[in-house]
Amino acid sequence: MNDEPPVQNQPSGLAPPADFTTFMRKYQDMVFTTSARLVRNDAQAEDISQEVFIKAHEHFDMLATSPSAGGWLKTVATNLSINHLQRYRKRWKFFSEFGGDSQEDDAPGVEFAAPDTFFEGIDSEEKRAWIEDALSKLPDHQRIPLVLYHFEEIPYDEIARRLGVSLAKVKTDILRARTALAKILTRGDSTLTAMAS
Amino acid sequence: MNPHESEKLETAVHAVLRRLPDRKAPSSLEGRVLAELSRRAALPWWRKSFAHWPSAVRLSFVLCSALAAFLGVSGLVALAGTQGAHQVTGNISSSLAWLILARDVVASFDGKARQILAAVPPLWLYGVAGGIALCYAALAAIGAATYRAITFSRQTT
Repeated sequence: MNDEPPVQNQPSGLAPPADFTTFMRKYQDMVFTTSARLVRNDAQAEDISQEVFIKAHEHFDMLATSPSAGGWLKTVATNLSINHLQRYRKRWKFFSEFGGDSQEDDAPGVEFAAPDTFFEGIDSEEKRAWIEDALSKLPDHQRIPLVLYHFEEIPYDEIARRLGVSLAKVKTDILRARTALAKILTRGDSTLTAMAS
Repeated sequence: MNPHESEKLETAVHAVLRRLPDRKAPSSLEGRVLAELSRRAALPWWRKSFAHWPSAVRLSFVLCSALAAFLGVSGLVALAGTQGAHQVTGNISSSLAWLILARDVVASFDGKARQILAAVPPLWLYGVAGGIALCYAALAAIGAATYRAITFSRQTT
């Protein structure tokens, strides 16, 4: 996290439209967050965000006045992040999926008695950081569909198509991700309460 | 988990995640984007993609390419029928005579190898092939198990 204002040092000889800089400042947090939640690596997310804004600059005539510019940027950021992940996923697919997910298959259902406790202190910086951390701790095959479903609001079948997996696997992975997240958050609640007291 | 619990969990997780604010982008991002745009803008047109070339240059390039292709094909067709073409073919054949020698050497080795293979009992060959397959499978299994162990230990820590 950094609260510094955006860098102002434009390289000499650069003449992007002043509006583009304003445009970029308006959307850079959203683009970076979209990418960072998918790839789970800030350096790679920054590279992807750079690529997104370079594409945006090529279409700036259209985006400058478009009310759906934010959606366009989010879609491009999501697509580039998925492409980035697919490149590595292909390489490790065999190894990561070898032997199946027996541990998760045998996992008992979460005791989900009090979801309302999730909301306690949700607006605090500490709790938000905890949730982001919990999200990043999920394995890729659970986190990616979860992020696509809950943050990008992409339907199950579209997620399955884009990730190249079955619809049933997407649903199972998202359910397991929610369960795992709920467990972490429930644990986190007690830890945060203990730290506070 | 029954459908009601599953729905409740989905609603709760969705509400929690949707309330998360965006993270702050690194302060270096804006500078990096502007620097890259500047670098690309400074490139001369011939170092950019074809789509960025001036229209007149693009048209000229297409016409010149078509002309070059036409001249090349016409030249080859014209040359193929001349006396000089036969001479050139002969010269090339003589300069590549070593390839024929190499082919003969490989063929003689191939013959020896076939003789040796014929002398080895088939059971031995099956055994060697099975051993190689077993080693390959064991290596893959060890690699996969190690990867899974490392990944699992990272997830649990």
